[in-house]
Amino acid sequence: MPAEVKQEQSPSNATPLAMMQEPQEVVEETVTIEEDPGTPTSHVSVVTSDDGTTRRTETKDMSTNVKVTKMVKTVTTRTVRQVPLGPDGLPLPEGSSPLSSYTDSIDRRYMKNGGERFITPQATSTLTRGYNNSYNDSYGETPESQYIRHYGLHDGYADLTDNYGSLSRGINFRPPRYPYMPNSYRPENSYTLPIRKDDYGHVAQPQVPMGSSTVDLNRSQPERFQPEPYGLEDDRRSLGPEEEEPYELEPDYSTASRRTLPGTNRSRTHREPLRDMHRVRGYPDDPIEAELIDERHPYIHGMYSAPLAQPERGSMASLDRMAGRRSPSIDSIRKDPRWRDPDLPEVIAMLGHPIDPVKSNAAAYLQHLCYENDKIKKDVRQLKGIPVLVGLLDHPKSEVHRKACGALRNISYGKDNENKVAIKNCDGIPALIRLLRKTNDMEVRELITGTLWNLSSYEPLKMVIINHGLQTMTNEVIIPHSGWEHEPNEDSKPRDAEWTTVFKNTSGCLRNVSSDGAEARRRLRECDGLVDALLHALQSAVGKKDMDNKSVENCVCIMRNLSYHVHKEVPGAERFQDPSALQAPGSAGPQRKKKDDAGCFGGKKAKEEWFNQGRKNGENDKNYDTLDLPKRTEPSKGFELLYQPEVVRLYLSLLTESQNYNTLEAAAGALQNLSAGQWTWSNYIRATVRKEKGLPILVELLRSDSDKVVRAVAIALRNLSIDRRNKDLIGSYAMRDLVSNLPSGQQRPAKNLEEDTVVAILNTIHEIVTDSSENARSLIQAQAIEKLVAINRTSQSARETKAASHVLQTVWSYKELRNALAKDGWNKSHFQPTVTATPKTTKNGKPGYDDTTLPLMEKNQDGYSTIDQRDKDCKYKTDDGSADLTEREPLKNDTNRKHYIRSNRPAVSLVDACDVKPQPVDSWV
Amino acid sequence: MSFVPGQPVTAIVQRIEIQKLRQGENLILGFSIGGGIDQDPGQNPFSEDKSDKGIYVTRITPGGPAEVAGLKMGDKIMQVNGWDMTMVTHDQARKKLTKRKEDVVRLLITRKSLEETVKQSMGCHPKQ
Repeated sequence: MPAEVKQEQSPSNATPLAMMQEPQEVVEETVTIEEDPGTPTSHVSVVTSDDGTTRRTETKDMSTNVKVTKMVKTVTTRTVRQVPLGPDGLPLPEGSSPLSSYTDSIDRRYMKNGGERFITPQATSTLTRGYNNSYNDSYGETPESQYIRHYGLHDGYADLTDNYGSLSRGINFRPPRYPYMPNSYRPENSYTLPIRKDDYGHVAQPQVPMGSSTVDLNRSQPERFQPEPYGLEDDRRSLGPEEEEPYELEPDYSTASRRTLPGTNRSRTHREPLRDMHRVRGYPDDPIEAELIDERHPYIHGMYSAPLAQPERGSMASLDRMAGRRSPSIDSIRKDPRWRDPDLPEVIAMLGHPIDPVKSNAAAYLQHLCYENDKIKKDVRQLKGIPVLVGLLDHPKSEVHRKACGALRNISYGKDNENKVAIKNCDGIPALIRLLRKTNDMEVRELITGTLWNLSSYEPLKMVIINHGLQTMTNEVIIPHSGWEHEPNEDSKPRDAEWTTVFKNTSGCLRNVSSDGAEARRRLRECDGLVDALLHALQSAVGKKDMDNKSVENCVCIMRNLSYHVHKEVPGAERFQDPSALQAPGSAGPQRKKKDDAGCFGGKKAKEEWFNQGRKNGENDKNYDTLDLPKRTEPSKGFELLYQPEVVRLYLSLLTESQNYNTLEAAAGALQNLSAGQWTWSNYIRATVRKEKGLPILVELLRSDSDKVVRAVAIALRNLSIDRRNKDLIGSYAMRDLVSNLPSGQQRPAKNLEEDTVVAILNTIHEIVTDSSENARSLIQAQAIEKLVAINRTSQSARETKAASHVLQTVWSYKELRNALAKDGWNKSHFQPTVTATPKTTKNGKPGYDDTTLPLMEKNQDGYSTIDQRDKDCKYKTDDGSADLTEREPLKNDTNRKHYIRSNRPAVSLVDACDVKPQPVDSWV
Repeated sequence: MSFVPGQPVTAIVQRIEIQKLRQGENLILGFSIGGGIDQDPGQNPFSEDKSDKGIYVTRITPGGPAEVAGLKMGDKIMQVNGWDMTMVTHDQARKKLTKRKEDVVRLLITRKSLEETVKQSMGCHPKQ
């Protein structure tokens, strides 16, 4: 399944521009290679239905997925090379004058935006709300005392006029003071405004004055469509697809609910430019560069008979500029025939030159040459340039190892895995890690981690990276940037995660390596502090409502991958195996793990077995709800955190808030993984999802436009329905959304879901209707039979046909439903694997209509209990009532029911009655 | 009834006085409430505005004190004995309603039909 592991190389790009001085280096290629190596997640956890067919399908499915290299996206802009030139023809550091006019306009625009933001209605509204409802403002504090204060003044009803007109007093709903309200807001506003302004002052403002942050400005502006201005910015944008996403989201930010986002977003992006700026500024003074310039002449002249291009003072970058945007530049046409560029062997030779600036310039030039040019990368490799570059990583001078690193990053990027292997073969990976440990230079760290991210996309290198770099990356990058602390200091506040490029790159790298099978997962899980830090970072993302960025996506994907097969792979998992489950041969044993290593296909048989056991367990799973979570003597840490029920809330928050499809998919996948398997923790997880009201959230996502999100959610629902109560709830309230994702007859629905997704949904439906004639009835009422028959008869896909046929057979197996089916014009032939008759296109709504409400009515009759009535251990009927089920109420009357259907809103109903106790939804008084 | 944050709230309310019924230990009002600022307002089937976190009457016991007093399902409770109910948690509301020492609760409630009635009788309508 695609869900799994996406390897993205693109990240590398991020680093790129760093080297502004050599404008030529365009660093960046952004390729997004998605490989689903492990596929572990999705399928593994997925329980297949019992019969062989399905199994076969899935296997096929998996195998196809395994090695797929999906799209390679290249988002690149070459514009980078166009470097702003100063009056003297030198490429300018970003901040300098030529930009000023540009900056100006940005500035203006920016201010305008800023200004608007200040007066957004929301800002006002928050204020007013507190202000206006004089009673309200107090709730934050101790409610009681506040009440007293206010009501003392108002004296109950006497003061109704203030807020409510009262019939009894004559109708006086417009309290006199309202007209004044608008005015009174003003002062309030102006109080707050400064605060917000302040925020911007810290965050955004600085960008404006400093020309150097143009890049940044540009970033925060949605306009990346200006191709020409300054290559730099452009390049920035092109750095990675990930960078683009925030832009697309931008419009959303203006809406009320996301009010805070722009600020945070800004502040985030802001950081990087500052670094850049610093670097850039330092540049002109850089002694190395100065030296370099002086040195070049003698060297060049002395060494080569042909005069080499003599770059203008500053750097080679400018050469390229003259050559035009896309020139491969080695042989670029020079205006001045006396000069030529060094050819590739010459450049590589210069890497070994005794003078450091020559080395660094040669490396920088190489980086530039390699940009987006697979041919040159290959040539560099064949000319044995890679070992030399790797050797330079250990060079003491930062200029040298930085440039070498930049070149390696570009070389490592792309589909040509030979280059990656070449880097590995000369021990490039340990060298990179060494440098990561050694350097504090942010830019170098970005380059290193970018390179590692690139390398990590190639399967055979994953374990090498883990072996050499896992703990270092965790200690040097993940932990510090996540804000997590091993032993939190009592005084220090918990820190938020910083979404730096380094963090993004590193998490991307770990995301890739986390898909490398059971051993990789084990290593990552056991890596000290990794899981804790990732979790902390995600929690901080949720806290800040900043969940759409690439770093978060990477973190969630790692978490999902690590959650895969926890029930089998985690040390001590045997202790938690559900005793009622038969020990399937090898279900938790070591042999099993081995098999899984082979790419997660191994498990079919056993999977099936435990799935069936799950079904059996489902029968008596009322126990599960009465099970108390094991008491912990000490807070869980490390990999235990992966499957603690607390994570459910985190994933649900992500599912609710994130706009990033990959994040959504991964979060759903994580729940899917955690709810799979037959061990104590998955029982808890399944119940916790229900208690945390996660089912409606998941069902809602069935309507997502993203195919993979729908698929992950469908499979998660399937695993969740191992829990009997979940099954009932899902059957009652998710059926329509499941069915609406099915293609109807010839024409597919608007969404046009992939085969995998359709099959996943069919399997989920199958699971839900198995052992539950109620759910089968819901299925019929959701008008699914027509679709199922159509799929069974006409689908081009054998897998879809099989899956649909299983569902149909299961439905037909409920004798009590046959009458209803017959009324709709269906007969046995429609439910048999081989279709012999054409289905009548009867509308099966009519007879079914009563049924829609009927079962619920029956259950509701004696009270407000519904589905759970049969669970005798359910406590809600007893005294306290706080757990009562009002939620069901709507179902009792038709209009509400219709409303529910129409709006497709999962409504309250998906919340299990017994589970609401902590937060009463409805109380009898 | 809904309100836009920042806009004045105007509502037409009705007073309802409910005499609690004593059943053994318990005092009974005979209705149930839903909502509150700690609840998901989107799931409230009665509110017009799905962001309204007010307290709503969700069920009425037939023949119970609340029904006798004229409370209806779907009513939004604005005040209980003078206490504001538009910005309270579910539990705060429940506690206010169930004070043991009080035999009577006086509610201010609002409902859509009230507003319409008033509109008709006034020929104008309150600013929403």
